[in-house]
Amino acid sequence: MEPLDRYLQSVKKHLPWQRQEDIVAELRANLESQLEDREAALGRPLTPAEAEAWIKSLGSPLEMAAPYQPQQYLIGPAVFPTYRQVLKLACTWGLIIYCISTAVQLMAASVPSADELVWAFLRLPMVLIQIAAWCTLVFAAFEFAVAHRYVDVSKLGPFCHNWPPVGLPPLDVAGGAPGGKKPRSFAQAVAEAVFAFLGLVWLLLLPRHHWLIFGPGAAYLDNSPYRLSPLLVSFYWCVIAVNVVQIGLHIENLWHGRWQRASGWQRIVRQVLALVPLVPVFAIPGHAFILLKHPAEDAARLGPTLDAFNDGVYKFVLFISAITVLQLLWTLGRTGMNAYRRRVAA
Amino acid sequence: MTISENLFENLRLELRRGCLTLAVLAQLRQEFYGYTLRKALAERGLEIDESTLYPLLRRLEAQGLLLSEWREEDKRNKRFYRLSKDGEQIFDQLLEEWTAINAAIQAILDRDASQNEAEQVASSRAAGEAGESTTITAQ
Repeated sequence: MEPLDRYLQSVKKHLPWQRQEDIVAELRANLESQLEDREAALGRPLTPAEAEAWIKSLGSPLEMAAPYQPQQYLIGPAVFPTYRQVLKLACTWGLIIYCISTAVQLMAASVPSADELVWAFLRLPMVLIQIAAWCTLVFAAFEFAVAHRYVDVSKLGPFCHNWPPVGLPPLDVAGGAPGGKKPRSFAQAVAEAVFAFLGLVWLLLLPRHHWLIFGPGAAYLDNSPYRLSPLLVSFYWCVIAVNVVQIGLHIENLWHGRWQRASGWQRIVRQVLALVPLVPVFAIPGHAFILLKHPAEDAARLGPTLDAFNDGVYKFVLFISAITVLQLLWTLGRTGMNAYRRRVAA
Repeated sequence: MTISENLFENLRLELRRGCLTLAVLAQLRQEFYGYTLRKALAERGLEIDESTLYPLLRRLEAQGLLLSEWREEDKRNKRFYRLSKDGEQIFDQLLEEWTAINAAIQAILDRDASQNEAEQVASSRAAGEAGESTTITAQ
């Protein structure tokens, strides 16, 4: 029967090559027996339309052949949860490392051009795709090794049947810090407020008592040919203001009995505040944080060293700012994600 | 197909998958070739597609649960299958498991049915008492 022959020929193309002939021979025997039964029941051969309908009822050649293929996964259900976890971690750390290394590279170029910034941004998706591809490749190789029994998955750490329950993370306590950390005690919260206040006093005393920061070196600095830029006064007062706000937050938490855990918005406020004093630092023209007391006399001798020092300070501040911004973005992302999860769960 | 129909179909297939293996092993305590096995199962109320049954036979044979043999019958070469020694052992264990699951589900259903019955009796009794008190008050 021609339609059956054509059907089996198509099925054969989708079968594993080692067993094609054997499977097709068996299918032919079974289907021909079925055809004979049908024709015997009708008392006549099937019409072309009936034959076509019967062949159609068997399913497409691919549908018929697919179950004969061995079950294959690129990454199977046993390995997939670990793969997903590792992929998330690798992409997150890849993003952080890329941002920091790019910031350092751009800083090295002293004044990064807009083109460099755009290229740095456009390269990011490709970096993430490469990280994901390598992760997938490693896990696909692992899955292959597991499927072919080169590796016994039941003896490996995360899959081990004999895993130690003692290694489970501590329980999240209601009102406790996220991630099962111990909630802050009242004594600890009071101590933090007291030390913040003492820190503020120390800062306020600094302009008149340099020894509080430089120790015995203060006498040398007073007589040195260097002085701080007067524009750093704005930085100083920003630091004072930030400390005052921090103390205010400590007192507010103690007053309302919320010392056990810092709320999400407070963490964000603290990280934004940490960026505020950096604004006047970047506004200093020519990054001249340290100046010469007598530029006319010392410029030729000390000028180049001082420029190199000021440039180093500028890059360091830039690096710190990049880390602080990343921390802020991370906190914003986590707070947003937690809020979304809470809303969905509700 | 709606989402609920799709969900039902997926769950139905999941439920059937294990049962089909058990049914095929049960039927192959006696020797059959593919088509007659399909007919025998259909006669007992278990319809299975060709694209499901024939690869299943291959898989069970590869797992060592079935033995197969090519033999000529009615002037046609056919592959006959029957249960192997290991297959018999596994079949007994699976049958025991299936019987236990069946009994557990039946026990759950029976308990729920008796609870519903008790609740119905209690509510009809309460309704009856309320009716009586209304009649008495009216009198």
